[in-house]
Amino acid sequence: MHLEQRDVGSFRFLLDLSQPIYEQIVQQLSGAIARGDLDLGAKIPSVRELAQGLRAAPNTVVHAYQELEREGLIETRRGQGTFVTTSATVIHEFRAKLAQTLLNQFLQQMERLGFSPDDVRHLLREYPKEGDRT
Amino acid sequence: MTNMAVTCTDVSKRYGNRMALNGLTLEIPSGGIVGILGPNGSGKSTLFRTLMGITRPDSGNISVLGSVPGWETNAKIAYLPDRARWYADHTVRKALDWGSSLLPNFDRSRALALAHEMNLDLGQSVNGMSRGTEARLMLILCLARQVPLMILDEPFFGIDLISREKIIDALVASATEQETTVLLSTHEISDTESLFDYAVFLRAGRVERQGNADSLRSQYGSMRDIMRNLFQEEVTSQ
Repeated sequence: MHLEQRDVGSFRFLLDLSQPIYEQIVQQLSGAIARGDLDLGAKIPSVRELAQGLRAAPNTVVHAYQELEREGLIETRRGQGTFVTTSATVIHEFRAKLAQTLLNQFLQQMERLGFSPDDVRHLLREYPKEGDRT
Repeated sequence: MTNMAVTCTDVSKRYGNRMALNGLTLEIPSGGIVGILGPNGSGKSTLFRTLMGITRPDSGNISVLGSVPGWETNAKIAYLPDRARWYADHTVRKALDWGSSLLPNFDRSRALALAHEMNLDLGQSVNGMSRGTEARLMLILCLARQVPLMILDEPFFGIDLISREKIIDALVASATEQETTVLLSTHEISDTESLFDYAVFLRAGRVERQGNADSLRSQYGSMRDIMRNLFQEEVTSQ
């Protein structure tokens, strides 16, 4: 796997040219919004700026922005640009959804190893607390 | 049915005993940046010349923007050929004036803005231009036109990194602003492969593989990986 670093303004993208670029734009931007790297209501690059910075096809960026808009994570204001949503609730719900997805993936993998969700609960209770870990 | 910018059905063209195009069948949807990729001699330039009606195929059917190639379709195509000729007494400014008087749908103020963005000296003579300067001028003559189709044959050939970045920036800006299909052939695949939303791989005058670039990426890997896998012998022997 070969990752290329491309900076757009203060934003750093890592592009893997052997994977669909559309998905990487959606994941990296939604990840930054979910983590809070991008503030509520922050302005994000225009389609042109992002396409130039990533050296990506403008169509690909347009489609990625449409997907993020469908999720409610960004909004385009006519003549002003594209912004992160101002709704903390939307981001909260998106974080919850992401957490659920990751949890499902984790549980599926554990199940393949023969651990039931109850086993996992038990393992988690036994898991050292943050302060106890070395 | 999706709108097709280009359709070729079983197109062949022979030069002496060499088949430049050999039963080439191709469908390119409208909109977006399309990479036309393949080793030397795979038929990229011949394909472009047949789309412009400069070269007539021996057999097969070609449709460009819904019509047979000819002067009517050419008015709607900005073509950057693999080699250029200039009037010896022209400066960059005169070459742009020539473009605005002769090329259909040429936006002179956009050409001047592009020349400024790409650091072209308008007073410079076209004689003795560096390759990088010439490539930028050729590209401006294409990007300054409001047309539904652009055909760029090796726009980065022999060009330094800085000029290449300027050209890519201008190309992306232009693709953002207008609904254009851009066909682009290049050897500089590592700089440009992320640009493509559709890709066509040619070999020996035929289409070896084509499709939406993101679908190809998830199925086969990067454009460079695909080149390597399809054309290993040709690429290593060059």
